Amino acid sequence: MLSMSGINKVYHTDLVQTHALRDFNLNVKEGEFVSVTGPSGSGKTTFLNIAGLLESISSGEYLLDGQSVVGLSDKDLSRLRNEKIGFIFQGFNLIPDLNLYENVDVPLRYRGFNYRQRKAKIEQALEMVGLAARLKHLPSQLSGGQQQRVAIARALAGEPKFLLADEPTGNLDSLMAKQVLELLQNINKQGTTIVMVTHDADLARRAERNIQIVDGQLCDFKMYQGGQFANQQTAIA
Amino acid sequence: MFTYYLQLALKSLRKTPFSTALMVIAIACGIGISMTALTLNHVRANNPIPEKSAQLFSLQLQASGKDSSWTTSDNVPLQITYQDAVNISRLLPEYNHTPMFKTSFAVRSLKPSFTPILKNARVTNRHFFSMFKLHFKYGSTWSKAVDENPANQVVIDEQLNQKLFGGGDHVGEQIYLNDEKFRIVGIIEHWQPAPKFYDLNNGAFDKAEQIFVPISLTTSTELNSSGNNNSWKNERVNTYKEKLASEMLWLQYWFELPNQQAQDKAEQVLDGYIAQQKKLGRYERDDARAELQNVVQWLAYRKVVDDDSNVLVGVSFLFLSVCLVNTIGLLLAKFLRSAPNVGVRRALGASKGQVFAQHLVEVGVLGFLGGLVGLIFAQIGLTILKTQFDGYDVLASMDLTMLFAAPVIAITATVLAGIYPAWRVCSTLPSIYLKTQ
Repeated sequence: MLSMSGINKVYHTDLVQTHALRDFNLNVKEGEFVSVTGPSGSGKTTFLNIAGLLESISSGEYLLDGQSVVGLSDKDLSRLRNEKIGFIFQGFNLIPDLNLYENVDVPLRYRGFNYRQRKAKIEQALEMVGLAARLKHLPSQLSGGQQQRVAIARALAGEPKFLLADEPTGNLDSLMAKQVLELLQNINKQGTTIVMVTHDADLARRAERNIQIVDGQLCDFKMYQGGQFANQQTAIA
Repeated sequence: MFTYYLQLALKSLRKTPFSTALMVIAIACGIGISMTALTLNHVRANNPIPEKSAQLFSLQLQASGKDSSWTTSDNVPLQITYQDAVNISRLLPEYNHTPMFKTSFAVRSLKPSFTPILKNARVTNRHFFSMFKLHFKYGSTWSKAVDENPANQVVIDEQLNQKLFGGGDHVGEQIYLNDEKFRIVGIIEHWQPAPKFYDLNNGAFDKAEQIFVPISLTTSTELNSSGNNNSWKNERVNTYKEKLASEMLWLQYWFELPNQQAQDKAEQVLDGYIAQQKKLGRYERDDARAELQNVVQWLAYRKVVDDDSNVLVGVSFLFLSVCLVNTIGLLLAKFLRSAPNVGVRRALGASKGQVFAQHLVEVGVLGFLGGLVGLIFAQIGLTILKTQFDGYDVLASMDLTMLFAAPVIAITATVLAGIYPAWRVCSTLPSIYLKTQ
């Protein structure tokens, strides 16, 4: 699903060059649930932005669903992002002026679905997260957990193959976090590949595989089975 | 996607009513001022008789004294003498042409209770009406015989007819012009060419006359011109008879020459007339000649659209650009404030082009609203001009072209102004906002 090899990402300022990712290699198989951990400033967010086609790479090769994304135009990258990737953010990132229906509608609009198709997909997605009755509510009228569920509905409405979650439970209390995580696990069981960045070690253990990024490099690789930490350290990918 | 962008634009504008109002007012001020100036310029530049403007020719004669000079660009006087008018009116009988001048009368109906009103009148021949496309509501012009043998006949317009009689067909009835009775032979529909091309002496937007009397009455009634009277010759002009025989220039003269052949013929005949007058010793100048200019050439020659009005349009558009610069600032602030939402849209699959288009549509809606309010401002400006200053009745009126032009100019100008803010917001790196929102 996702194949990164020899990825380097360098940020340039007038005086300093910062290597956010260096010789970064990672393969994520279709249907996998991978958690990404690492200390602050290690390059997790850069990895997520590159994986989500929001930032370009300085060098290396990135194949998304078998297609190289290096050198693609903004239009092609946007189309790929729209069709193949769903985003879930720590801060939910719902558009505050749009109601739930309109928020979930956003990626579908850019996909070019007609009104009937969009309506069906929006209702189905909101149904899945248990918010079908609140179509006309604004995000500000919902709790944090509900907002994150809407964000998940929005990410899934276009039926992407690949879900990128950045600290999806970071702003939620433990009960809400549990619900959201269960939702993500269900989604994964239905075949969607998930890559989740988190600080939370417990949360990371719920994934099938955990990778650790330190100083822009993949330095640790752990496999879990059935959501249990197997304490198995493997070679760096 | 356009309707989606439109929905988003309306939502966004409603969300920030204060800054939206500020931007609309800024655009409206610029559009209001520039449309006012543009309307004045547009009316000045109007072709008042497009279907015949290439066939109607104003006549000028370079027949003044050797050393006399005129304010025209080619030093040819604008008007002609009475004797030239009479002589030339006898030439080229196969074509319509008319000498004319402006006079004024105290007008009243036969009712003793009617208070006389002072009105300008045009003294001309019967061809005037067909040449300049005046339409008769009742009756018609006077006969050819009246052009040759004076008779107290008059054509009035429907507005004067309304004032004198309360409207209706009053052909055959009599009115007083000064102290003489005149019989109404025709009532024309209201006629107001803008510019008043056939006689620009008292301003290009002077009101057209409402009374028309035969030029054959000039001698018998001793009608005086209330337009310009220009003299170059030191001669005795104590009586009306002496005025008619003098070299005083006070009549306008127009030809209707339907094709090139007619124009060539007219030039040839007029050249012959000039040569004859030279031979008689009346025309002193070596460069004595006749000049014919069609309506469009005539309006350009008379500088109806003068440099001042072009400068005014330029200044008004400068003002519009100042308003737009202010709008750019407000737009930048507004768009950059919404950059986090743009980041979300980009993450969800919007391309830079789509984000750019979305914001340009919003700017276009702003421009449209600014254009509409600007139209109201322009109407207010034109009304103030009409009510506060003389001579703006005709000039300060917005036609359909200007009505449609206002929103088009507003949208175009605002979209151009919005390109930079829209480009700024669409080129922002979305990842910056996704983490920090």
